[in-house]
Amino acid sequence: MSEHEAATHGHADHGHADHGHGDHGHHVIPQAKLLQTFFILMALMIATVVAARLPYEGGIKGIPSAIAWLVLLGIAFWKAGLVVQIFMGVKYSTKLTKLYAYGGFVWVTLLGVTLFDYATRQLEPVQGWEPVAESALPR
Amino acid sequence: MSSTVIEQAVEREEPAAPQKNYLNADHTIKSWLLTGDHKRIAVLYLISVTFFFFLGGIAAAFIRAELTSPMGTLLNSETYNKMFSAHGIIMIFFFLIAAIPAVLGNFLIPLMIGARDLAFPRLNLASWYVFMLGGLLFIIALILGGVDAGWTFYTPLSSLYSQTQITLALVGLFLAGFSSIMTGVNFIATIHKMRAPGMTWFRMPLYVWSHYATSIIAILGTPVVAITLLLVALERGLRIGIFSPELGGDPVLFQHMFWFYSHPAVYIMLLPGMGVISEIMSCFSRRPVFGYKFVAFSSMAIAGLGFLVWGHHMYVSSQSVFQGIIFSLISFLVAVPSAIKVFNWSLTMWKGSVVFSTPMIYALGFLGLFTIGGLTGLYLSAIGTDIHLTGTYFIVAHFHYVMVGGTVMAFLGGLHFWWPKMFGRMYSEFWGRISAIVVFVGFNFTFFPQFILGYLGMPRRYHYYYIAPEWQVYNVLSTAGSTVLGIGFLMPVFYLLKSLKSGPIAGPNPWGATGLEWEAAASPPVTLNFDGIPKVVGPVYNYDAIEDSESFRREQMEKVTK
Amino acid sequence: MAAHAHDGHLRSPDMPEVYPQFEDIDQQQETYIVGMWAFLVNEVMFFGPLFFIYGLYAWKHNAVFYVTSHHLDYKIGALNTTILLISSWMVAMAVHYHQKNQLKKVCNMLWGAAVCGTAFLAIKLIFEWAPKFDHGLFPTPGFQSRYLAYYGADTNPDVARLFFSMYFAITGLHALHVLIGVLIFVWLIRLIKKRPDVITDYVPTEMVGLYWHFVDLVWIFLFPLFYLMPK
Repeated sequence: MSEHEAATHGHADHGHADHGHGDHGHHVIPQAKLLQTFFILMALMIATVVAARLPYEGGIKGIPSAIAWLVLLGIAFWKAGLVVQIFMGVKYSTKLTKLYAYGGFVWVTLLGVTLFDYATRQLEPVQGWEPVAESALPR
Repeated sequence: MSSTVIEQAVEREEPAAPQKNYLNADHTIKSWLLTGDHKRIAVLYLISVTFFFFLGGIAAAFIRAELTSPMGTLLNSETYNKMFSAHGIIMIFFFLIAAIPAVLGNFLIPLMIGARDLAFPRLNLASWYVFMLGGLLFIIALILGGVDAGWTFYTPLSSLYSQTQITLALVGLFLAGFSSIMTGVNFIATIHKMRAPGMTWFRMPLYVWSHYATSIIAILGTPVVAITLLLVALERGLRIGIFSPELGGDPVLFQHMFWFYSHPAVYIMLLPGMGVISEIMSCFSRRPVFGYKFVAFSSMAIAGLGFLVWGHHMYVSSQSVFQGIIFSLISFLVAVPSAIKVFNWSLTMWKGSVVFSTPMIYALGFLGLFTIGGLTGLYLSAIGTDIHLTGTYFIVAHFHYVMVGGTVMAFLGGLHFWWPKMFGRMYSEFWGRISAIVVFVGFNFTFFPQFILGYLGMPRRYHYYYIAPEWQVYNVLSTAGSTVLGIGFLMPVFYLLKSLKSGPIAGPNPWGATGLEWEAAASPPVTLNFDGIPKVVGPVYNYDAIEDSESFRREQMEKVTK
Repeated sequence: MAAHAHDGHLRSPDMPEVYPQFEDIDQQQETYIVGMWAFLVNEVMFFGPLFFIYGLYAWKHNAVFYVTSHHLDYKIGALNTTILLISSWMVAMAVHYHQKNQLKKVCNMLWGAAVCGTAFLAIKLIFEWAPKFDHGLFPTPGFQSRYLAYYGADTNPDVARLFFSMYFAITGLHALHVLIGVLIFVWLIRLIKKRPDVITDYVPTEMVGLYWHFVDLVWIFLFPLFYLMPK
């Protein structure tokens, strides 16, 4: 239905259709879809606040803080996915746009290779290199 | 210099009225400074990077002069630090990164893929202004006293201890980085969307492939160093703590972030040069590039792998040994696509009709020097040898073999190759060959002794070495070589400028080369590049199909043997 | 992909403007979107290291960051998230209306987004940064003693300084992006109203929209990481 709407409403006033590329041009995302996405985003925002206010490890026994991290980041990625897919229209765009849109988010995780350094430093402790205060990252 | 090809060209061109082209379309200064034409912007960039090249060269001259004596009598320590910092920063950020993409890439990519211009002409012009603003800020920083933290700006020296104009320089580099990002975005959009009908990905010249890989690195890497340098500037200005241990941060983290960009940046400098070499090799061997797809994909492989090897700059930085091992392994892997390229260029020449014209001499120089630079890189990617060699002149020699022997040779080769296309005139082939040979010889005299120095243990960035006066002979050799090298670099300025006025008219295709820029565009090209968008029907590097290929070769050989 | 040699120049007056380097409007629009995404990839890599550095320090100094992060008011953060989500929706609607060529509604939506952006900045400045500055919590020299004076010795002030350094660096850079976005909104509205010869199709609005959604995206990660940090 949305494809059809794009073809009729999207280009009607624009004069594109006369030139024969009315139906393979851009995609008009329906208003209802945008509004729905907005409400889902709001709901997720409230969910993330509520989730974060739950007492971990202290109050409710058996919810380790790792779960809290997973929930918070999971919701953040979910929200980000919605924004990218619907608001930014990547879901309806060309393969090339998809490649660039997701490529950047994939590539930025390469910075995480650095974590390997910090994770393995403690495997080779050097005498006398223990940090004095808790200021620098522990070697 | 009485080649029949050129004489024919003169006869063809002479009777016609001076053709309208991008150079004479409009003569006002304003039309140059507000132009959207990629060819004019390329010329603006050419002037700028040449200026920065010689500015950086002057700093290098001071370094070499200082090192002739073990006592370090010419400059004091601080001035020496400022000299090598200025040399490194100018050469890397204001010459090498911009040289081939912004000059030759800007000029040639639309011509090679059959487009009227780059996708975003105003962005292109803006990139030049941002570049110049960055350069201006850095020059102001130099005038106000210079920078002494080296081009790497390691914290906490750069953020807490140095008393020099680092903040201003960092802003300048930030802007230069943005100029490179703008060019990258422009190239990516252009290469994806503006190819002429029939110009499929595998009909693109390898030059365009290598620029595509370069642009990918530019948009993926440059912002990382931009934000890192910005954080250093913030730490310096406001004393907020991110990278300095006194303020709670971790200096090794700065090195991680810095090299995340700065190692791929090596490929930003090198890959476009490799593209140039592919073009020159096939034209002057009169053969298609051997293994086209392998060369194309090796560019992409270098771009990808280049992001995973940054830790080999940090073996002695207290990064974990385990990470060092992994980075070492991946660094060795980069040698594979690099070697694919070198072997394929060599096989391009095999059974070809090699013509030793000026661009080809530069390209052959590239092949030899880059091979040495690349192989010595393997010494440095092995952790054990690196611990002995790191921070010595071995490193200096290694990256000069790659950067000067690779990029600068390719830039000069490409400039000579496309000079007739850019300005419509031939330069003196005699002086061209002399200069190519002088640069090659001078380069080796300058930097080969530095390998020995580094092996003997001379540290880089020291301005005296009275503890080991036996190093003086190598340093004097190196300085003498650098004089020859400097003369080699100055020579093209004279004969190229002279050719603008009195060189023979080149005609559209003086080298009998393939490619849209030679076969479909005039020399110099008209403002919108082509009379109508060309349609591409055949494969790239189709040298067998060029009828006068054999006669061209014979004429060129006559010139050589004469 | 390009179709014919000269068609780009022989266009009828009711067609949108095609720049001379393009063949037809489709190619032009696609090229601009690809260019914008290439720019956004660069923006991702620009904010990426900041988040990475923050994440690394938060991992290594988890206990301190947990205490310090609760000195931020999550209610203000949630309010600002809501404002940004509304503005993001408005921009998406602006693109929607521009594709239907309802320019009046486009301008209304862009105004709404600009007002939201301004409100975001105002809330950030008045309710978050200004009190922090007043309490001396900007991480300049002497931060540690000011922190101890204000919050007492609830945690290691050296590391708290690291937290506030990252907080001001990331929110500051994000606010700069918001400010630029608001200025672009105003500029775009002016162009739509005054210069129909420049804004001939929806692509400029789409590009501004992509930029704004990216700003929203940064905040979507920033909010839980700074305001809602679990132990």
